[in-house]
Amino acid sequence: MPYNDPDPTDPNMLVGVMLPADAEATTEMAYVFAEEFARMGHDRRQILSLFKNPFYGGAHGAYQSLGETAIESIVDECLAVWGTVVIRDRDSCSPEARATSTNTVLRRE
Amino acid sequence: MANVHNWQIGREMNYPYEAAFPKRQFAFVFNINRCIACQSCTMACKSTWTFNKGQEHMWWANVETKPYGGYPQFWDMKTLELLEKANPGAQNWSGKPGADKKQPYGKFDGITVFEAQKMLTPDSARVLGYLPTDEEWNSPNIYEDNPVGKKGVRGELDKEGVELPEHKTWFFYLARICNHCSYPACLAACPRKAIYKRPEDGIVLIDQEQCRGYRKCVEACPYKKTMYRGNTRVSEKCIACYPRVEGKDPETGGQPMETRCMTACIGQIRMQGLVKMNRDGSWTEDRYNPLYYMIHVAKVALPLYPQFGTSPNGFYIPPRWVPRDYLRQMFGPGVDEAIERYTYPDRELLAVLQLFRRSNRIIFRYQIKEGPKVYEATLRGRKITLYNDTVIAYGQDGKEIFRTTIDEPLHVRPGKHANSI
Repeated sequence: MPYNDPDPTDPNMLVGVMLPADAEATTEMAYVFAEEFARMGHDRRQILSLFKNPFYGGAHGAYQSLGETAIESIVDECLAVWGTVVIRDRDSCSPEARATSTNTVLRRE
Repeated sequence: MANVHNWQIGREMNYPYEAAFPKRQFAFVFNINRCIACQSCTMACKSTWTFNKGQEHMWWANVETKPYGGYPQFWDMKTLELLEKANPGAQNWSGKPGADKKQPYGKFDGITVFEAQKMLTPDSARVLGYLPTDEEWNSPNIYEDNPVGKKGVRGELDKEGVELPEHKTWFFYLARICNHCSYPACLAACPRKAIYKRPEDGIVLIDQEQCRGYRKCVEACPYKKTMYRGNTRVSEKCIACYPRVEGKDPETGGQPMETRCMTACIGQIRMQGLVKMNRDGSWTEDRYNPLYYMIHVAKVALPLYPQFGTSPNGFYIPPRWVPRDYLRQMFGPGVDEAIERYTYPDRELLAVLQLFRRSNRIIFRYQIKEGPKVYEATLRGRKITLYNDTVIAYGQDGKEIFRTTIDEPLHVRPGKHANSI
């Protein structure tokens, strides 16, 4: 914790300055989020809920700034490339699916 | 002052000593896109080298949250401001990044920390710099999720709890160690010549017997990676874990091993190596050395603040999501090309990126064995094709260290024994 109170006349001191990102950087950030979670096997609903939830400040900031349509388009685009990884958890599968599946599944469909 | 060539700024520059280069140079690449600021590197270094009395404030390896964080606070901003003051409005680059190995990022037309004579005080000083205050050294990760109390109430946390501050803007984590520069500012500034660069691996060390604690190195290093120790009254700095680099660790049987901070990296952002140097300070062409490939062929990794003029040997793959102006200031004009290559990696780059942190041995050469096409798709108008190639890493003795594939298997543990191995 800083020992002194911020000196408002000190140009180096952080007193709640916001460094806004331009639209290009925000778009790039949205792609990074979408790609990352698509690669980890999250589906469309899960990734979109991440963007819509204010708890996730970075993703939600991009959602607010770029709008729902743009975010949906980014998510769909990323899912089309990286969303082919399907992870199946045998424990939560139906008995029929469990019989044909293993616990270490990385399947591209 | 001698006239030396600095390939990172694409021109000759002044330096207090004649140029001298090691046979091999300690160098590293950090992929910022992967860093999660877990501070494993920080603690690996701390628990190995700086856990003694008098070293409490010393963090040879640290990870800071940019743009606000810094250890010491404002280290980069303050040096940039000093240079701007010395050469107002003229700290600019000209030309464009290209194939010329003498100036791969274009030419820096401003002045370096060695060329700001009119700003130097006293006149005998050789390098433009400043001595950070004690307070600036006190908070190594300031502004990163600090618990705070009610506004206006000092020394007391909020009893009812407060909402943590939201990151409403961009940020990224910058992992740092000493850059073991080719033109070290610490070495240039030392009046006792207590700092030297080893001819075998380019590691920059402070001779503890020679140092008298004048702190000229602390003042001069623009990266603020030399630190003063009050109880011994000498300065200390990152030693690049040189016993490991020399192969003295019994685990490797005499083969060079990467530093503690590299091997502890959970995010797999780090790779360290020993690159071959020419007598003129350029890197010897070593096409299948992963560092040579990333820095000089793919040009995906860039030096940190090349405009300072010290020719740092730490290189960074810049974060994709950060505004480009900020990145260009930090990594020079090669940023756009580097991000383009990283975002749409070709077959070879994808394979080389898989080499990070599969082993604690230093990789001297890699080889790629082509595998089948796994799939292809289009992202942002660009075609992406993924091949399941195998990349093989070789050590100094030419023996294979490991091999890995592009398409990694994913293992999911059963719910019943989720925590068992």
